[in-house]
Amino acid sequence: MENNTLKFLLNDKQVEIDFLKTDYLPSTTVLNYLRSQSDLSGTKEGCAEGDCGACTVVLVELLDHQLIYKTIDSCLLFLASIHGKQLITVEYLSQKKGQDIVLHPVQQAMVNYHGSQCGFCTPGFVMSIFGMHKSETPVNDKSIIETLSGNLCRCTGYKPIADAVQHDCHLKFDDHISAKEGQVKNQLIGINHSIPSLKIHASEQIYLLPSTLEEAISLKKNYPESRIINGATDIAIRQNKTHEYLPCILDVSNIKCLKKIDEIDGFFLLGSGVTIEQFKIFSENYYKPFQKITDVFASLQIRNAATIGGNLSTASPIGDLIPLFYAVKAKLQITGSKGDRVVNIEDFITGYRKNCLQNDELLVSILLPFLEDDIFVFSEKVSTRRDLDIATVSLAARLKLSSGNRVDEIILAYGGMAETVKRAEKAENFLIGKLWSQDNIEAAMAFIEQDFTPLSDARSGKEYRSTVSKNLLLKLFLLKRSGIVNN
Amino acid sequence: MNSIINSDPHESAVSHVTGKAVYVADMLINSQVIVGHVVFSPYAHARILEYDFTDAIKVKGVIDILDYNRIPGVNQLNSIAHDEPCLAREEIHCIGQAMFLIAALNEKSAIEAEKKIKIKYEVLKPILSIEEAIEQDSRMFPTRRIETGSPDDTLLNAPHVLEGQLDIGGQEHWYLETQAALCVPGEDREMTIYASSQNPTETQLVVAEVLGLNANQVLCEVKRMGGGFGGKETQANHIAAWAALLADATNRPVKIVMSRDNDQKYTGKRHSFKAFYKIGFDHDGRIISYIVDLHGNAGMNADLSMPILERALFHSENSYFIPNMRVRGTMWKTNMPSNTAFRGFGGPQGMAVIENAIDRMARFLHKDASEIRFMNFYGVDEKNITHYGQHVIGNRLFLIWDRLIKTSQYFDRRIDITAFNNKNRYIKRGIALTPVKFGISFTTSFLNQAGALVNVYKDGTVLVNHGGTEMGQGLHTKIKAIASSELGLPLSKIQISATNTSKVPNTSPTAASSGTDLNGMAVKNAIDKLKERFKPLVLKMLNCNDQNCGIISYENEKVFLSDQPEHSVGFYELVKQVHKNQISLSATGFYGTPNIFFDRDKGKGKPFHYYAFGMAVSEVEVDILTGMSRILRSDILHDAGSSINEAVDLGQVTGGFIQGVGWCTTETLRYNSEGHLLNHSPDTYKIPGIGDMPLDFRVELLRNAPNPMAVHQSKAVGEPPLMLAFSVWLAIKDAISAVADHGIEPEFSLPANNEVILLSAEKLRNLSDK
Repeated sequence: MENNTLKFLLNDKQVEIDFLKTDYLPSTTVLNYLRSQSDLSGTKEGCAEGDCGACTVVLVELLDHQLIYKTIDSCLLFLASIHGKQLITVEYLSQKKGQDIVLHPVQQAMVNYHGSQCGFCTPGFVMSIFGMHKSETPVNDKSIIETLSGNLCRCTGYKPIADAVQHDCHLKFDDHISAKEGQVKNQLIGINHSIPSLKIHASEQIYLLPSTLEEAISLKKNYPESRIINGATDIAIRQNKTHEYLPCILDVSNIKCLKKIDEIDGFFLLGSGVTIEQFKIFSENYYKPFQKITDVFASLQIRNAATIGGNLSTASPIGDLIPLFYAVKAKLQITGSKGDRVVNIEDFITGYRKNCLQNDELLVSILLPFLEDDIFVFSEKVSTRRDLDIATVSLAARLKLSSGNRVDEIILAYGGMAETVKRAEKAENFLIGKLWSQDNIEAAMAFIEQDFTPLSDARSGKEYRSTVSKNLLLKLFLLKRSGIVNN
Repeated sequence: MNSIINSDPHESAVSHVTGKAVYVADMLINSQVIVGHVVFSPYAHARILEYDFTDAIKVKGVIDILDYNRIPGVNQLNSIAHDEPCLAREEIHCIGQAMFLIAALNEKSAIEAEKKIKIKYEVLKPILSIEEAIEQDSRMFPTRRIETGSPDDTLLNAPHVLEGQLDIGGQEHWYLETQAALCVPGEDREMTIYASSQNPTETQLVVAEVLGLNANQVLCEVKRMGGGFGGKETQANHIAAWAALLADATNRPVKIVMSRDNDQKYTGKRHSFKAFYKIGFDHDGRIISYIVDLHGNAGMNADLSMPILERALFHSENSYFIPNMRVRGTMWKTNMPSNTAFRGFGGPQGMAVIENAIDRMARFLHKDASEIRFMNFYGVDEKNITHYGQHVIGNRLFLIWDRLIKTSQYFDRRIDITAFNNKNRYIKRGIALTPVKFGISFTTSFLNQAGALVNVYKDGTVLVNHGGTEMGQGLHTKIKAIASSELGLPLSKIQISATNTSKVPNTSPTAASSGTDLNGMAVKNAIDKLKERFKPLVLKMLNCNDQNCGIISYENEKVFLSDQPEHSVGFYELVKQVHKNQISLSATGFYGTPNIFFDRDKGKGKPFHYYAFGMAVSEVEVDILTGMSRILRSDILHDAGSSINEAVDLGQVTGGFIQGVGWCTTETLRYNSEGHLLNHSPDTYKIPGIGDMPLDFRVELLRNAPNPMAVHQSKAVGEPPLMLAFSVWLAIKDAISAVADHGIEPEFSLPANNEVILLSAEKLRNLSDK
């Protein structure tokens, strides 16, 4: 049954959009939707690719009867995907009392500490800080960087903004938004109850938003050409920049069971819809080798939207998590109308931005094996900028040494060196059985050169990639020796 | 009231944080406005053989498509050099040259129409680098030179001579708000432009010229910019002209907002430079002679390349007295988008060369570079004449050095760093202290002028208009403070209007750090005129019959004789009386900087009204195996005179420094062999993020340092702090150099990105292993 009407809360007003009666497409970005209305132009476009945060909004969703506040780049957010959620924009934070404007405490802090100069990035920063406050993130140097590395400012040099957060945003306070939480909860429950799923057949686009896995499997069978999206942080960029037309979208972001993390038979089972931010918290607590990468994975806005399933399925030659999934020998559960199957990560990725999913299949979950104590997992991401950058080269390695300090097992998975994430097989073969020594590592570095023929591109020259890829092996050795290896 | 120290918030702070601040893209949403779209050239050098709009014009939603034939006025964007066509005629000279303009109901239709324009090109060979331009002698202008003493003879006799070259990269402005313009046609072809422009007067004149109108038929208004940094000094005119042509042709309001990618690909940047130098010095490190040749990549046309080169020449000695010196500069014409103004305006490129040369001298002499710097600073009473003949007066280098060397604990930390480096083979630390001396004034002397209009209304509130534009730098905040202090009124009674060519005409661009100096003085001049007019009435109201009975003070909304503050008249009462007495409550003001001149042929003069000074110490840590670096600590002490607003000035210092850090580290422009910019979005072009701030960041303004040369004894502060980032750049070099225990000169260039760092360190590792 078709259901063409999207319902959500825009600040405190319930909005309905019938896609049969509007110029908006279901995949119109929330940013463009907001900016088409003259009273909501506070949300700015700075780059239309999730790299500057000027368009940051807060999306509130209901999870286990709790309201969860997430900052998101609205330029990468499809309108139809906010069904059943509350969208908070900068306009909602301040209040009018008579003739006066009463600023929200995070806005007042930005004023007090001179956090704005040209002002164009400011609404985005305000929303990020507001999100930090709403999610009760403790304020410290690390959390400030983690919260704000997705917001670029070209004027202030960031110091006044960091000062505003440090000094004025750590206090707990209630605002007019928390006062309305009960009412918001009821409204969201109401929408999700009455319209759990959408099946939009607009004139130029089909947009399917199922709420159960069964529904999704059957939709995938009936619409085999549909593009699966979750956070849409990759595909939305293509829509924005190369004007790629998306005739049929299957949005699995509303399926609760895909967001679960469980333990089963020596594995952690992570739903493909687990966001990178969820995964970051998981890895900090249970899967330390990933912590170093999740710390510098994109920005909070992106991590709140992007999912581990999405990061894997793009099969990017760089994709921050993919080399590590190679190193820990992740397995993937796939389901489809013809049944279920489990594949190894290395078989899942089949080429440049290609994976092994058939037209009727969905990636359901990722199985991460518990790591035994004698397995060392190491990762290093080399990028132009530490935060919010794509790796120029990355290495994830797995190492098992015998009691005689010889190499029993080794995986060297490189990102940024070939058309897919690729193992340095010649170097691995050389090292197997050899003594784990600096001499042997330096000898193995010569094989790395044979393993790869890197390219020059917008991020670096090939000579740099070649040199760094070798050095990362040495770095692995040095870190192992110094004992500073994640495990 | 000569000094107002305060930290009032930015006058638009509340609008900024609430999202109510209006930028061009936010104006006229959902109304009559239509979308303008520019078709840019995809080739660096080509001839347009033929083109056909037949299919494109049929696309639903397309209203009109213009080529150069449809320009009613002159096909020209540069009203001085006349070398910049508004729309390409036959030959294309860079990727991103505008060819055609499309007016459509929406962006989608415009993009579809662009795809349907059929164009045939003959592709020609482009010049894409300074080297190629030199080889083909593709000069933009004749070589310029400034010389003092006997550089050749003294170099020959110097105990030591080092010779080298330095490559300096360009920089994308990356203002958060991309280029944008909204043009609204009026009666009889009148045109109103809402621009994001640092130079409303020039925007007005360029639009008048392309439309074939008089200046008095075109009005340009600038409320604010979402960042400018020089990128909107001339190149905001282009988008305004394109929007105006479409608005004029369709008789509808037209808005053009550039996408981030197009803005990065097709607009000008900081000029990349290549420099060749020879420096002669004695055993202690005193510079005897310096000969430097600067080569800049101008891009396809003149734009501001000449004054930019001139400032590079003026700043090529930075803070150092060099008795014998010759600096020559050439701007080279290439097939790239024309490079343009960017904070520092050539100064940074000129300074980078001498700073790197001094760093080399230190390594050669086995000394600390900061000692060589100190030894060569301009003197206070002697050794204080620049190579272009201007006296360096108000030298604050020693004052700043004395304080900063202590507060930064420079020499103690140098010892700690050496110890750290001895213990660590693959992680190295480095430290550097670098000074900045920056000349304040437009080097084109006549541009140093400004106008203002101050209206006092019958209710006693004041509207201040001036020729400067607000791009985030806090100009309006400072102007408001100046007006408030001059009139003795609270800030709430003073409003600054959007910059508007019909209120204050014939203004200079807001550039060269001069916004407050010039416009502040013009506003003060207007207020002085009003006070002069009010004077007889004030004396009458105070029952003072003697016309010479003392100074009249305006304070706390009261007016009184300064020696009799107890007898006062309220400002608002005065205003009522002024109006009743048929005296005008509105005045214009004007200011022109006195006594500045420069003889370009002789290379001598006094181009600057005064100098600004600053110094920074930065410490970095470099991963020798990956080339990744991070700033551990930066200490900055900067001279802003008697600050009109300390928070605003600190914001300029902090922001300018970090912007400079970006230029010196992560911001690399990469082009392919056809001239296409490869990193044209923030995905691959990396400006600093919050995580790139120094872990320990200490920024201070120099205290008790009034500047007698500028309004309220303040000092220009917009550009100078950018160059403090050389402390980071050279600290990185110091860390690389530690790989070979400072015994070998590392290969180095600007920016010192991961790639430069790693490949330089690898060479040192290989050399020192041997």
